This record gives sequence, C-alpha cells and structure tokens, in this order.
Amino acid sequence: MSGALEGIRVLDLTQGVAGPYATKLFSDYGADVLKIERPGTGDVSRRMGPFPKDEPHLETSGMFLELNTGKRSVTVDLKTASGQAILRRLAEDVDVIVESFRPGTLERFGLGPDVLDAVNPRAALVRVSNFGQYGPYRDFDADDMLLYGMGGVLAVTATEGREPVRIGLYAPLFLAGGVIAAFAMGAFNGSRASGAGERADISIHEILTASMDRGGPNLVSHQYSGSLFFERGRASRASAMPNGVYPCADGYLHITTGPNWWDRFCRAIDRPDLITDERLLPHLLDPEWAPEIDAIIYPWLLERTKQEVMERAQAEGWVVAAINGMDDVARDPHLEARGFWSQLDHPVAGRVTLPGFPFRMLGTPGEIRRAPLLGEHTSSVLAERLGYSAEDIARLAQRGVI
Amino acid sequence: MAESTERRLPLQGVRILAQAIVWAGPFGSMILSDLGADVIEVESVQHLNPTRAGMRRLPPAILEGPTGALYLNRDGSEGFWNRHAFYNFAKRGHRSVTIDLRREEGRELFFGLIREADVFMENNAANVVEHLGIDYEQLSAVNPRLIMMRFPGFGIDGPYKHFKGYGATMEAVVGHSLLRGYSDSDPSATPAVYHGDPNAGAHAAFAIQAALYARERTGKGQLIDMSQAEAVTHHISYDLLDYRFNGRANQHWGNRHPAMAPYGVFPSSGEDTFVAIAVDTDEAFAALCREMGQPDLASDERFADLVSRYEHQAELDPAIAAWTRQLTQREAMERLQAAGVMATMVYNQAEMFDDPHLRERGFFVELDHPDVGTKRYPGPMAQFERMPLTPPRGPAPRLGQHNREVFQGILGLSDERLEELEAADVIGEAYLEDAKAT
Repeated sequence: MSGALEGIRVLDLTQGVAGPYATKLFSDYGADVLKIERPGTGDVSRRMGPFPKDEPHLETSGMFLELNTGKRSVTVDLKTASGQAILRRLAEDVDVIVESFRPGTLERFGLGPDVLDAVNPRAALVRVSNFGQYGPYRDFDADDMLLYGMGGVLAVTATEGREPVRIGLYAPLFLAGGVIAAFAMGAFNGSRASGAGERADISIHEILTASMDRGGPNLVSHQYSGSLFFERGRASRASAMPNGVYPCADGYLHITTGPNWWDRFCRAIDRPDLITDERLLPHLLDPEWAPEIDAIIYPWLLERTKQEVMERAQAEGWVVAAINGMDDVARDPHLEARGFWSQLDHPVAGRVTLPGFPFRMLGTPGEIRRAPLLGEHTSSVLAERLGYSAEDIARLAQRGVI
Repeated sequence: MAESTERRLPLQGVRILAQAIVWAGPFGSMILSDLGADVIEVESVQHLNPTRAGMRRLPPAILEGPTGALYLNRDGSEGFWNRHAFYNFAKRGHRSVTIDLRREEGRELFFGLIREADVFMENNAANVVEHLGIDYEQLSAVNPRLIMMRFPGFGIDGPYKHFKGYGATMEAVVGHSLLRGYSDSDPSATPAVYHGDPNAGAHAAFAIQAALYARERTGKGQLIDMSQAEAVTHHISYDLLDYRFNGRANQHWGNRHPAMAPYGVFPSSGEDTFVAIAVDTDEAFAALCREMGQPDLASDERFADLVSRYEHQAELDPAIAAWTRQLTQREAMERLQAAGVMATMVYNQAEMFDDPHLRERGFFVELDHPDVGTKRYPGPMAQFERMPLTPPRGPAPRLGQHNREVFQGILGLSDERLEELEAADVIGEAYLEDAKAT
C-alpha cells in the first residue's frame, strides 16, 4: 500500500537498535531503504536474538527481524577501496544518509561530510552516536543501560536503599530511534528547503538527558525549585488516595488517582456512599491518611482480576492499568481488536508475529514487509542502481567486497 | 511569527495547532517547534491545561510535595501556571491562545484557525474531540488539507478507546512494568517510569512530517491514529519475541543482560552514587580484572568465558563492588573506558548542568522567561550544521499570551471584537476562578 514517504531514498549505514529503528520507520511508511551490511556477519542485531527454539542463526534473530522490516540488504566491505567506491556511488542519488558508526569511522570509509559534499551535496547526513561527534566522551563505549545512566534517568529508578535498576532491555535505544527519525525528517526537510544537505549530529546521550521520562522534568524542576521532581525511592504518595502498585486476585495493578477523582474511585469500587464521607473528605490529600483508604480498597481488589479491575475502573474514568506479562500482552483484546500485530512470512524464520505500526496513517498506510536476508539485494541493487554486469558482481563477490 | 532573527529552520512556514498535553504531547510539539514549525497551543481559561496546572489553587500539601518542585520557588500565587518548569521547558518557541471551545464564538475562532493550519495535533483523552465537536470529519470539511494527529493512550478505536492513561498506565498494560525491576521483588518495589510519553511524542513529530510530505504528492491531509501503548510495544520486542518464539514470559530482568556478564550497577565512593558496568567480551573482562588489580580472576574457570561468567556473575558482583567502592563514579568511568571496558556514571541529575561533555557541546540552553527569569534547559536533541536549531526561538508563552497576535494576524479580528471576546471570557490571559481540572 502506498506509504507517506514514497519517493524518499535512504542509505542506511546504521547498526544495532537506535539507528535501525529510525530507518525502519522510514521503511514501513514507504521510503526505499538500502541497508549496508558487513559481508559474512551483517548487522550486530543478527546476533542479538531471541532465536526461535534458542538456535542462533543470522537470519532468525528476533531483534533483526523487528528492526529491519522492508529494508533491502546490500553487503559491502567498507574497509576495501572497491567497497568504498560502491558506497560513494550508492550515495549519489539518495535523499537521506543515516549512519551510526563510531565517530570518525565514516570518514575512514571514505564518505565523510566533505566527500559527500562532492558526491551528493543535497543529501541529508544524519550521524547517530552514543555521545555525539565531538566532546570529551566522544569515544566512550556504552550500551542502553549505560546511556540511561549517563542521561540521569537510571539514578532515580531505585527503590529505597537499593541500587538503581534498568528499564526494559534496549528500551532506551528504541526511544532514541523515534527521536532520531523525527530529526532525520527535519534534516531531510531542511535539506530540501535550502538545497544544501543538512548535517545532523545526534547524541543518544543527549536524547536520554532531555527526554520526558524522568530525566527532563527533573532537570528543569531542579532549575526552578532546587529539588528534583522524582526522587530516588518508591514513588512518593502525593495524596491519601490510591497511587502506585496494588495487588489483586491474579497479579498487580498500577493505579493513578488524581486529586479530584475521589468520586470516580468511590463509584468504581461500588461505594458511592463514601463520596460525601465527612470523616475522609478533609484528609484526601494528606498522605498520612493513605492506610485508611488502602484498607477500603485492598479487600475489593483481592477478589478481582487485573483485567476486571482495569475495565471497571476505566469505565468511571479512574486510571487503573493491569500490570501485564508477555503472555497477557500477546492475547490482549484491545491490541487484537485493533489488528495491531503484524504477521510476516520469512523464508528462514517462518511465520513471525511482530509489533505492528506504531501509528496508523489513514490516508497513506504504508506496509510492513519482512526483513531482508543478509545481502539478499546486493546483486539486484548493484545491477539496477549502479549498472554493474553479472560478471562485475561475480568478481566483487570473489574478492569478498560484497 | 515574530522572530528576533532571520535564520531559516527546516519546518518554517508549517502552522500547527496543538492541544499537546501532559508529557507525550509537549515532547512532540517541542521537537516540531525546535525544527521551526509555528506551534500554536490552543488552551482555554475555563479548563486547566494539565501541563500547567492540575488544580486551580495549589494547597500547601501539593506545593511542598513533588509537584510543587515544578513551580518556580514552589510559589503557588496567581499566575503559577506561567511558572511551570516542565511547560516552560517543552513549550519553548510556541505561541499560546485561549479559546472556549464550548461556545459558538469560540468555535468560530477555532475553525477559523483550522482553515489556516497545516496540522492539528492532540493527545486529549480519546472522547474529548468528539465531545467538543472537533473530530476529523468536522475539521477536514473546512480544511481538506489538514493533517490531524491524534495520540491518546490507547488509540481512537478498540475496546480500550476510552481508557485514560499516563506513561505508567501504558507501560503496565503492554508489559514493560513487569520486565523492569528487581528480580527478587514484586512490581511495587520499582518506581514508575514514563518511557512511553516521550516515545509517543517523538513518533508524533515524525508522523506529522511524513504526512506533510505525503500531502505534497496527494494534495490531501489525513488522519493519523496513534495508540501510545502500541507505539511503545516495540521497545520490549526482545521479550515479546522470546515469548512468541520460545513461550518464555520473561519478568524482572534486574540489572542483567542476556549476552553480557558481568553486568550491573555498582556502588561508588560517594554517598548514594553508582557506576554502571557492561562487559561484552573476554578482552573487556580481562581489562576489568587488571584494573581491579586481580588479573587472575580472568583465568578463573568460573569466569573464563561468557557462558561461565553468566552462570557465576552473582559471585563476581561483590568483588567488583568492593573495588568500585574505592573510586568516585567519574574515576571508575574514566579508568574503565580508557581500559576498553564499557562503564558510565549513574549520573545524579542535580550535577548534570556542570557536565564537561554537555558543556562543550553547548547542550543546555538559557531561556529568559518574563515571569521566571533566565533558566537553563536541555536544548534541542540534534545539532544541525546548516540550519542550527540552537538556541530555540524563544521562551514558552504565558497562557493566552498570543491571543491578539494570532486572532488579529491570522483571522484579522478588530480591536473591538477582541475586547468583546475578552469581556465574555471566550478568550483571556488568566484562568477563571472556577476553571476546571481535566
């Protein structure tokens, strides 16, 4: 189906999670994304797993299949002069180049900004790295947990007296990927407006520092009042009304009760009489009264499942969420009803069920297509885009360039 | 829009009306504004914008608590909604108008602006636009080129359509809460994070630009439906796929990694300070052991390769902690990075404004707000060379600050008409005494 970004050509020199998630968005919504991979081993995400039946295979790594939907894979050894020549030629007629090598590597591969100025002065160059292209930490190596730590967010994920604890595996890098995609579109738009290819330096560290997770709000509240909005430790209770994690019959719930929601709460738990309770009303905002209200809600919760409580509460506008496991998510009725999951047939991995579109464009839907095999499109791209003959291609393959 | 400089920005000329609230919305509109779009926040004096204020008056309990930290000097006097740290961070460069959308005069103003807009972005609860009579059908009827970006918690259809939620709600429902946290505790031990909010905002900023590009080809606007919950589901795809592939319902990873060991957060010498360490190769492990002054550990058969290290990492952790405790977090980071071991500080945010790296990169920006003075804020999340995004174009607006500029500049209203609207409280610059919370 026609995608919004039809007509945009992206040269994808990213690896891992953050960069590939950004270019995946381009691909799913219609852009033509050429992914350059290292011959033999390919993108590092081909080794990240998880693998069906725990059997490692370059073509079945779940992370690769998720992050590279619809892209075409071209293997090129960028350490060789012939490989670099191919890269420069591929760069000639693209609109956006996204790279996530360590700073300085693109220059070594012969496609630094100066070269690009000569080869394709109109293309936007989006450079993604852990700490940016310059600065004292430029060459520091880090993974998602470590970047989260440097971004300041990890420090406030600890409970009282314990060490900080990470969020979901790779989750900070996916967040960075979404931000990178937004600025890559910005760089593309700027390049088109001026006719001169934008050069963007994007640091994942800075994204996580500014992010509206716990990071950004804390930094600015510190500027405004000298204290952090989120402190280390259990989420502090701002009122007597239920807020935080509560047990129920089959698991846990996350509950948010706004300062004006007492009536919603009372109706949801079938206690409309409490709406005007004179003993409780004066103390609803006083955290010291929390045990009084917890004593009302605990028995009610323990007789109900998380799904039941969530539906009942939400019907009254009380913000309650089931704390779901992977099994619950896989069969969640809402995701099912919206047709969220994307089922793809892959020649090696078989049928794979992946998260679907993160947003639905009703006018130009786009399409999620399976990820490529390693080097699947090398020959066709070299032939069609660069006019190489079958003989040229065979020669390059023999020498390990492709 | 009035700008102090003539510099061009990528989204110059794009006009966006926004009801981009709480955290997801502002994160998205901040990116679009940093890129140069003219973002006009549509607020009202009848309903509190939850990004500015949850209550018309802030009682002492709130001012002294965590929410109070967001207001300048914890001052809850009138106009406090213009002194909100988070609003003033994310809404930099925006314009603010107030319109009572529940009255006919207000609807006229709003539809007038819709006619002149490229985009309307909103992340109200899903039923709000229907109640207000401003859904896509009604808006596209007056402006078929309009792009409407909707991103409530769970999308605009499906059984949870009317569910309300925040970051913590979404991450619970899509399974993130149960993956985070200590492996030996239930989820109540893990503070909520609001990871889904910035994610939804970033996706909205991308989606809007994609739709603007498509419009060049199709000549038409479109409706975009994002469920914040769905968008963040990608972030846990490792665990989702492990369930799909192998039937494993993973929970509580703690500070562990499926393919690295040792891996974790270790105490450093300062009170309540930590360093995070991730060892990905045998070479990095040998380097860590050398730095620790225990090179023999690297050849200990319990730790000789990744598989055995993974098995025995709990035995390794105390030795690492004993060593990191002797160093400041910065010393540990710098020594290990120089030795080829991935390590970073678990940065205390109060200290980040002085970070030498962020300082050299000019990441923090100063903005001078008339009610707040000059404060420092995280700057744009990308450095552009040709069209620099830094500094942002200006501070965040006061409530209704641009009523005159927008209603006269875009809609050509007369001074008399503006005064009438103001007198009738259709527009205004301060919340009414009985303004309602969302």
